[in-house]
Amino acid sequence: MAGYLLRRLISSFLLLLLVATIIFFLVHLAPGDPTTVLEGRRITPEQREHLRHLYGLDRPLGEQYVRWLGALARGDLGISFAQQRPITTIIAEAFPATFLLATAAILVEYGVALLLGIAAARRRDGTADHLIRVVSLLLSSQPSFWIGLMLILLFAHVWPLLPASHMHSIDADLMSPLGRALDLARHLILPAVALGLYNAGPTLRFVRGSLIEVMGMDYIRTARAKGLSERRVVWVHGLRNALTPLVQLFALSFPSLLNGAVLTEIIFSWPGLGRLSLAAILSRDYPLMVGITLFGALLVVLGNLVADLLQAALDPRVRDA
Amino acid sequence: MAGARMKRPIRILLPILLAAVLAACGNTEENGPKPNGAASDKPRRGGTVVTGWTTEPLGLVDLIFPTTAVGNEVLFRTFQHLVEEQPDFTEHPATFAPQLAESWEWSDDHKTLTFHLRKNLVWSDGAPLTAEDVRWTWQAHIDPAVAWDSAYMKENIRDVEVVDPQTVRFHFTHAYSKQMLDANEGLILPKHLWSQLPFEKWRESPDWFRQHLVAAGPFKIESWKPQQEMVLVRNERYWEKDRPYLDRVIMRFIPDAGNLLSQFLNGDLDFIPQVAPSEAARIRANPSLELVSYWSNLYVLVAWNNSRPPFSDPEVRRALTLAIDRQAIVDTLLPGGAGRVGVSPILQAVWAHDKKLQPWPYDPNEARRILAAKGWKDTNGDGILDRAGKKLSFDLTSNAGNQNRNDAAVMIQQQLRVVGIEATPRILEFNTLVTDNQSGHFDASVTGLSIDTSLDLSGTYHSRAIPSGENFLRYSNPEVDRLIDVSAQQTELEDALPYLHQIEHILHRDQPATYLWESQRLAALNKRVHDAWPNLQAGFFNLKDWWVEPRQ
Repeated sequence: MAGYLLRRLISSFLLLLLVATIIFFLVHLAPGDPTTVLEGRRITPEQREHLRHLYGLDRPLGEQYVRWLGALARGDLGISFAQQRPITTIIAEAFPATFLLATAAILVEYGVALLLGIAAARRRDGTADHLIRVVSLLLSSQPSFWIGLMLILLFAHVWPLLPASHMHSIDADLMSPLGRALDLARHLILPAVALGLYNAGPTLRFVRGSLIEVMGMDYIRTARAKGLSERRVVWVHGLRNALTPLVQLFALSFPSLLNGAVLTEIIFSWPGLGRLSLAAILSRDYPLMVGITLFGALLVVLGNLVADLLQAALDPRVRDA
Repeated sequence: MAGARMKRPIRILLPILLAAVLAACGNTEENGPKPNGAASDKPRRGGTVVTGWTTEPLGLVDLIFPTTAVGNEVLFRTFQHLVEEQPDFTEHPATFAPQLAESWEWSDDHKTLTFHLRKNLVWSDGAPLTAEDVRWTWQAHIDPAVAWDSAYMKENIRDVEVVDPQTVRFHFTHAYSKQMLDANEGLILPKHLWSQLPFEKWRESPDWFRQHLVAAGPFKIESWKPQQEMVLVRNERYWEKDRPYLDRVIMRFIPDAGNLLSQFLNGDLDFIPQVAPSEAARIRANPSLELVSYWSNLYVLVAWNNSRPPFSDPEVRRALTLAIDRQAIVDTLLPGGAGRVGVSPILQAVWAHDKKLQPWPYDPNEARRILAAKGWKDTNGDGILDRAGKKLSFDLTSNAGNQNRNDAAVMIQQQLRVVGIEATPRILEFNTLVTDNQSGHFDASVTGLSIDTSLDLSGTYHSRAIPSGENFLRYSNPEVDRLIDVSAQQTELEDALPYLHQIEHILHRDQPATYLWESQRLAALNKRVHDAWPNLQAGFFNLKDWWVEPRQ
């Protein structure tokens, strides 16, 4: 297992390095100079040169890359052109909001997927199964921003039950800790449901398929022959094995949820990495764009690593391969 | 003191601005409507206004070197200029009202301008605001390390002299029309606090400024949660003793325009500075809400690359203008009177516009005749004009994310096709479009420009601005160059009127660009807010005068 872990760590590191290199050069090869976009066209040549020197843009691209890589090795992602603050600080400020949203969305996604997936598997080819299949297709075919807009329309505008934006109400700072937590929960519901529902469709199909496959196995027939109740057969014997691959799916889907929350965060004014990345793109903030993208890539690589390790832990054939 | 948006040079606009430019409803006045609320209403002190914005300041640095409109909105309420430029430029050049300076006078040769500051000025930390602050601010503005983007406006200021704590004198190299604007550009900064940090360190020290924020304006920043909201509170040490009326102003940052509007309609927001014309009817239908519209200083044009044939020929450019049905474009994209066909860069809402000048009509037959006289004929019967084996064909770029401009490009493609011209619309990422235009790598581009109250056309139309890419049209006309220079030399802007009219007529004749449309902006208020006067200068223009009735 240690050898497997080492191999996977090395390959993950190399993958990250490759991703970092590609991101760096792609962003810098795009036309336009950030000093033009950020500072307007009427700054003098001397001012522009000063800014280019300050930002390190006057150095050859190769040298910029080596310097950037060296700083990266020290955990320094550089300074944001637009905000002129350390990028690690900016990401650290925005990440908790995205993490919270992604976690809540995962709960929604897996809650819906498990409930409906199990129901569909138990009533295979029945009316409920067909109905759930339609629901699954509907959820998968609606972009998250569309679901978000519909939720806002229904639950914040037509029936103003829930807040449509931000993490907290105005004056939340004056609330008690419990009141503040409840206020946060109310604000979290709509974006988490929008993001979670969008991802629930495929997960639901996965749960259904996996459970149907497991329920056809010999050991399930044995369990039934022993006279166990159907409920016990499904929930204890069937589901435990059916959900093992789901653990891997979870490890893979969590980082992609973090990365995929961009539109949801914009629609719901959620102060996370998604909104930050849009602002970075619009302001042509090279270092921040690179930093956020690299951070997202890191999460995906880590997610893959965790998924592989889980699979290796659960299946000895993988780690011995 | 104009909002920086007004006083900034002509520039290509951010696409997000364009979406907000298009307004479509009534009670329009050329220079903006009067403040809402009946004159007999007695202002009520206290209360909170909640406002919604699709963008937010980039960071604390945007409050020191503002690059966004919303950054200016905050900055102009927390810091102040010497005088305040008024949005009254319809009938005459914009006038100035006292702000930190209560009066000012010119020397006989018009090369010295003396400001007399108010005697009771203090920063929000209690330190006095004096002429020393004014001089030191000028030093900061011109320091290359600070790299302030309006430093070019200080080029003709030789020195700023402190006469006494309440008197400061600006010495100019020569007399010219923009002297007051140049002297007044830039907010006065706190020397007693910020001089602790060398200018060389300013660009690297946003957190330092965060810890050393003071205000001289009616409000100060109480809190700022990035991507969430900013809270402004009353500056108790503001010089105008009975202002502001409001206790707090909350700026909520909501990037999705649909969500922003929804919250406004629900009553969660009291003010939104930008509304799409398509949403005007929904707001108008609600009796508790109010719309305010005013003509923008932005105009949309087809920029021809004047250095490339066939656009280097003014007659061909005029033929192209005649072949474009601009009224149809305006009627389609800006319905309900939200726009009008453009005439020249001196916009129709501006005092210096020559009202005798009319837009070129839609006349495809005349366009065909001009082009034929220039040798452009369809020799091979493919429906496209050609000359010497070369088709009259070009790319027409516009920027992604700006639907109106993209739609306009498609309509122009269809209209030009009627006279045998092949225009191919290409949608580019905004920064790519800007880079292409500035470097001259384009044929034609549907883009936007703005004009400031100084009516300084040197940026876009003077040939000396070609190398920098500022004159991205690459338009060169010695007579226009001369007239721009002569008009800039007038000490009073009124005296420049004959020259401005001549420039306008030449540009109308030469058509370095086809002026597509001028448009309105639309802001929306809840009627519980009184005496608000959003206008071209700023959404928060007179925020200190706003007052609110209690929430129901």
